[in-house]
Amino acid sequence: MSTLVIKDLHVEVGEKEILKGIDLTIQTGEVHAIMGPNGNGKSTLLSAIMGHPKYRVTQGSIELDGQDVLAMSVDERSRAGLFLGMQYPQEIPGITNSDFLKAAMNARLEKPISLFQFIRALDKNIAELDMDENLAHRYLNEGFSGGEKKRNEILQMKLLQPRFALLDEIDSGLDVDALRVVSEAINSMRNDHFGCVMVSHYERLFELVPPTHVHVLIKGQVVMSGGYELIEKIDQEGYEWIKELGYELESQEERKPIILENCGRKDNSYHG
Amino acid sequence: MDNYVLSSSFYCVVYNGQCIKANLPEGVDFENHTICFQNQKPVEIQFVYLLDQNESMDINIVIKEHVEVQMIETKIFENHSHFQKKIYVQESAMLHIFSENDSSNEEDIYVKEEVFLQNDALCQCGYAELSDGCYDGKYHYYLQGEGAQAKVRMAVLSKKKESKHYEVFIQHCCPLTYGQMDNYGVVKDEGKLIIDGVGSITKGQHGSASHQTNKIMVFDEKCVAQANPYLYIDEYDVKASHAAAVGKMDEEHLYYLQSRGLTKKQAMHLITYGYLKPVIAVIDNKMIKERFETALSKVGA
Ligand SMILES: Nc1ncnc2c1ncn2[C@@H]1O[C@H](COP(=O)(O)OP(=O)(O)O)[C@@H](O)[C@H]1O
Ligand SMILES: [Mg+2]
Repeated sequence: MSTLVIKDLHVEVGEKEILKGIDLTIQTGEVHAIMGPNGNGKSTLLSAIMGHPKYRVTQGSIELDGQDVLAMSVDERSRAGLFLGMQYPQEIPGITNSDFLKAAMNARLEKPISLFQFIRALDKNIAELDMDENLAHRYLNEGFSGGEKKRNEILQMKLLQPRFALLDEIDSGLDVDALRVVSEAINSMRNDHFGCVMVSHYERLFELVPPTHVHVLIKGQVVMSGGYELIEKIDQEGYEWIKELGYELESQEERKPIILENCGRKDNSYHG
Repeated sequence: MDNYVLSSSFYCVVYNGQCIKANLPEGVDFENHTICFQNQKPVEIQFVYLLDQNESMDINIVIKEHVEVQMIETKIFENHSHFQKKIYVQESAMLHIFSENDSSNEEDIYVKEEVFLQNDALCQCGYAELSDGCYDGKYHYYLQGEGAQAKVRMAVLSKKKESKHYEVFIQHCCPLTYGQMDNYGVVKDEGKLIIDGVGSITKGQHGSASHQTNKIMVFDEKCVAQANPYLYIDEYDVKASHAAAVGKMDEEHLYYLQSRGLTKKQAMHLITYGYLKPVIAVIDNKMIKERFETALSKVGA
């Protein structure tokens, strides 16, 4: 059994403090749901756990079975058993999905997986996720529909077998059938050696993958934790009632693509 | 010098201008620095060019009318060497080249290649430029017959303190000619890379098309990179396009790959490989893919 412990986590993006002291303990065998209106810090929390360079931890700690996660690089966190299914998976031209998946699997193996074993694992999971077979040979997420990208995240989770999966709006862009397939995939991973944190707005996902714990994240703080009844209440009443408990909501609409840095330069030369 | 790998059953090893080892198919001769192809059936052949320090060599290649050739070139040159090659592709001949530069020089190497194409001749060439040192390369194509086509793909890696300059030039000397170049570069460490892509269509060469893409990806702060497109067009009835861009490697791409457990080095290798890979598409051959992958990992890209 493994434990992921987050204590008093403060995170800044740019100059702004987004997370203001998060405490959360997740054990393998558990599924935690994190809910909250847009712009309140859900993705920030998951990205900070994974180690995205733009999210700066200014206070607090994250430990995985006593190991200091904050001291690890992003790839070390992955190899230690953390996995983030991203809200907006990157499109990377030139790298085929299957080359990428193989490299990711090999990154945590002492001896590289044989081509035969790899193809067998890949085909099996692609079939279970009801994905288009050609997606393996296409460039990583390039031109994938929203739903295909999300399924591709789940495919990676299944191949990499993490101890803790953090799934950020994994249900967005999925139609009813795809949602069912993805939910089954998550459920099939549930056991005493697997823990999961899911962020979603929709009760539907939580109906299909019932969480053991539910948290409401408002303005960078967990204002309430409980069980499934919280999901039902939010589904029926939204978040207005939380205001009556004395909490302000971050009302801002979520900005869609998060552009972290201007990476491409329009002019033709570069002098570092 | 003799660390080249032969991977075709037909080959020719040229050392400082002399043929030192060869197995040539029927219809292919090497005499007086000139290799002449008159083979009836299409052939695949590998040329290995070796040059010692301060040496120079001149090579001529003639592909006769209607002849088809697939060529793998391996270039291993030492400091201050000069390599010059002229290729004549005659009427309706077809030449595909995959050219790998595996030199482990430190100081300058000078290369000038000129390709002359007659009516309906085709030359498609992919250059995998992964040499270790400084480099000055000129690759000139002259479309001298109607219907002649040149398609050039270039993949360049400049790393450490290397300084590399490439000029790819396609001259349309006849109507109804087609020229296309796609030049891709990756610059790391303190490397420097300049790519000049030049397309020129003179007056009267109607119905011609000149297309080019020049793209360089920069990995580190101390890199210097320039992608310069030039199009000289003196004719109305033509198609032309160009695109040029120098950009930093996308940090989000790196993060995504690392979040799946790849080290930064592995992630950068995969990104580099993906970026330069189009060069291997010029010849449909599995072995070339492997050679390219090995060459890339050897230079620690
Ligand atoms: N990369 C970023 N650059 C600037 N602001 C950001 C960035 N990421 C998140 N934010 C800001 O942080 C806040 C929380 O965002 P986020 O964690 O994405 O919310 P949620 O996932 O709950 O919708 C928002 O105000 C958002 O605008
Ligand atoms: Mg979010």
